[in-house]
Amino acid sequence: MSWASATEAEDVYTGYYGYGEYDMSHTGDPRQDMEYERHYATQSYIVPEVIKNFLIYFQKVINQRDLLEIQNSYENGFNKLTDRFFKDTAWPEAEVVAPIVGNDKRFLILYKELYYRHVYARLSGGPSISQRFDSYFNYCDLFNYILNADGPVPLELPDQWLWDIVDEFIYQFQSFSIFRHKSLSKKTEDEIELLKVNPKMWNVHSVLNVLHSLVDKSNINKQLEVYTSGGDPDSVAGEFGQHSLYKMLGYFSLVGLLRLHSLLGDYYQALKALENIDFNKKSLYSRVPACQITTFYFVGFAYMMMRRYQDAIRTLSNILLYIQRTKTVFQNKTQLYDQISKTNDQMYTLLSMCLVLYPMRIDESVHSHLREKYQDKMNKMQRGEMAEFEACFAFACPKFLSPVPPNYELENTAKSKEPFTLQLNVFTDEVSQQIQVPTIRSYLKLYTTLPIAKLAAFMDMSDDELCTQLMCFKHKMKNLVWTKGTSGLDGEFQSASEVDFYIDKDMIHIADTKVARRYGDFFIRQFHKFDEIMRSLKAT
Amino acid sequence: MAEAMRATVASLLKGIERYNPENLNNLERYVDMQANENTYDLEANLAVLKLYQFNPNLYQAQVTAVILLKALTNLPHSDFILCKCMIEPSRLMEEPVAKVLVLAHLLETANFNEFWITLMKDLDPLVEGIVGFEDSIRKFVCHVVASTYSTIRKDKLRQLLGNVTEAQASQWVSKYGWTEQLDGYVFIANQDEHIRTKNITEKISFDSVAAIMASGR
Repeated sequence: MSWASATEAEDVYTGYYGYGEYDMSHTGDPRQDMEYERHYATQSYIVPEVIKNFLIYFQKVINQRDLLEIQNSYENGFNKLTDRFFKDTAWPEAEVVAPIVGNDKRFLILYKELYYRHVYARLSGGPSISQRFDSYFNYCDLFNYILNADGPVPLELPDQWLWDIVDEFIYQFQSFSIFRHKSLSKKTEDEIELLKVNPKMWNVHSVLNVLHSLVDKSNINKQLEVYTSGGDPDSVAGEFGQHSLYKMLGYFSLVGLLRLHSLLGDYYQALKALENIDFNKKSLYSRVPACQITTFYFVGFAYMMMRRYQDAIRTLSNILLYIQRTKTVFQNKTQLYDQISKTNDQMYTLLSMCLVLYPMRIDESVHSHLREKYQDKMNKMQRGEMAEFEACFAFACPKFLSPVPPNYELENTAKSKEPFTLQLNVFTDEVSQQIQVPTIRSYLKLYTTLPIAKLAAFMDMSDDELCTQLMCFKHKMKNLVWTKGTSGLDGEFQSASEVDFYIDKDMIHIADTKVARRYGDFFIRQFHKFDEIMRSLKAT
Repeated sequence: MAEAMRATVASLLKGIERYNPENLNNLERYVDMQANENTYDLEANLAVLKLYQFNPNLYQAQVTAVILLKALTNLPHSDFILCKCMIEPSRLMEEPVAKVLVLAHLLETANFNEFWITLMKDLDPLVEGIVGFEDSIRKFVCHVVASTYSTIRKDKLRQLLGNVTEAQASQWVSKYGWTEQLDGYVFIANQDEHIRTKNITEKISFDSVAAIMASGR
C-alpha cells in the first residue's frame, strides 16, 4: 500500500507521488495533450480581470484564515463566476493561475480541487482519463499536506467545503470504478493501456487508507465517545483533533466510510463506522445538511438490506421529515437542491418498500406525502409484483461498485453490472421469501380469531403449509431493533408491525392495531380560526 | 483456543490492517477454529469475505461455505444476508456454496421439515465439520416456535426439531421452560399478554396546549 508508506515518510508534501511513472507534462492522452499544447502555443487564453481579482482575494482570505470570507468566496464567489464565465468550460488551468497567486502551492491544490470538481460536474463528456488521474494526484497532495505535517497545518476551511472534499473524493472514486468497467469497445487502445499500466490509480486501498488516516489523526472516535457521555471532546482530541479542520475531516470520513462500505455491499462495516455517533441526539457535528442526508440515506438503506425494517423506517422518516421542514433553506442553492430532491425521492421509495414489507405507523406528514405520490407503487408491491420491487430498488439503491479492476483483455459488459445484480438478488431473494406475508396479513386483519383450517382454505394450501407460512411471517416480522446506545448495529428482537397473531391449538388469535381519529390538529386549527374571528369582531 | 484467538484477531481487524491480505491465512484458520469449537465471530468472518472481494484470486469456496454455515447458526440474526452481499454472484452458484444457499432458503422460510430432509439426504462432510450445527438450528426453531405458538402438538414440535426422539424433545421443552400437557400439547406461553390489539389514541397533555390557550385571550 503506497499510501501507508507515504504517511510515514517525513517529507512527502514535496511530491512523493512517484510522478516518474506518470509524467505530468505529457499525459499520454492525445486529446488532453493537444489541448495542452494548443494552450501554450497560442497563449490565447487571457484570464479576465474579474477572475484574477477573485483568485487573489480568495487566496488572501484563505491565508488570513478568515473563515467567513472563505465561505463566502467558496459558496457564492466561485459559483457566480462559474455561471458567468465557465458554465460548460473548465476554469483556467492551474499553470495559468500559478503566476497570478505567486505560485502559492497550497492555494493551487485547493484551486485544483475546485477545478476538477467543476470538470466532473459541468463539462460535457465528463473528465478525460488524464483529468481523472490528475485529480487523484491532487487529492493525494491535499491529504499529504494535511496528514503529514509535524503539527496541525495553519488552514481553516468551512465545514461545507470539508464535507464536499470527502464527498467528492469518494464520488470520483466511484466514478472511476464505473468508468473502468464500462464497455471496452468505447475506449481507445491508448486509454486501455493507460488503465492497465496504472492499476494503483483510484485504488480502493488508497481511498480506504485516506479515510482511515483522517479518522485516526483526528481521534474522532474517542472524541465522539467522550462527547456522548457528556464530557469535553477536546480532552481526548490530541494535538490535531482539537483543530476544526482535522476534527471535521475525521467526522466526515466516518460518513465517507459508511458510504464506501455500502457501495461495496458491506453493510456491517458501514454501520460500524458510525458506532460512536449518536443519531438520536442533535449533534454538534451535524451542521452540514448534505452530510446529514447522506448519512441517513445510507444508514436507512443498510438497515433495509439487513431486514431491520423498523430501524430503516425510523431512520428514513426522521430525515424525510427534516427535509420537509428545511426545504425552503435549500431552495436558493440550485445544485444542492437538485441533489437533495433526488435523494429525497430515493428515500421515499425506500420507505415505501419498507412499509410494504413491514406496515407500521409513521409520522403523519411523511405518510400523507407517501400516500399522494407512492400509493400506486405500494399497491403493486403489496400485490406481490416482483417487477415493481425491482424497479424501486434500482431507482433507490446506491451505485454499487466492484473494488477490483476488470480484465481488460475480455469484453464483458455483464461484469460491470455484477455488483448491482448481486445486491438486487439478495434483496429480491429476501422479498420472495416473504411474498405471502402481505396476503396472509390482509386475511388476518379481518378477524380476531380464525381457525387454521379456514385460513388454509383461503390461501389454498394444506394446514401444514400454512403453519410454515405463519412461522415464516413471525420470523420475518421479528426484527432486530435499535433500543439504546450509539452503535446502530445493536438492538433487540421486536415486532411492532401492525398485525400480530399467535397460534393456540388449532386457532389463530389476531391482534390488530386500531388507530383512533386524531383530533389535536383539528382542535388547534379551529381554535386559531375562532381566535381570528374574535379579533376581527373586536376590531370592528 | 478460539476464544484466545478472538483478541488477537480483533487486533488484526483494526483500521487499515483489516484489508491486509497477509492476514488471510490466520483469519481462515480462525474460521476453522470456530467450526471445530462451536464459537462464532461474525466480524472476523466478514473480514475474510472482504479480503476475497478485494483479492478474487485468493478466494476459497470451502472457507466461504463454512462461513455461511456458521452464519446460519446465528439465526434469527441476518448474518447470512450480510455475508451473501459480499460474495460474487458466480461464486454463489458453485458448490458447496450453492448447497448452503438452499439450506438458508429453507430456514428463512421456516420450512423446517424440508430443511432436515435436505440436510440428511446429502449430509455434506462440510456440515459434519461444524460442531453444534444442528443444535444451533434447533435453537432457531425454538425461537420461531416460541414467537408463533401458545400451544403446539408435541409430535409437531418433534418434527420441526428434525424428528428428534421423545426424550430429546422433552429436553428442549424443559430447556425453554415450556410445559408438556397431558393432551399431547406443549404449552409455550400465554401469548395474549403481549400480543393483543393495540388501540392508539392521541393523548394531548395540558402543557402542550397551554401556550395556545394562553395566546387566545
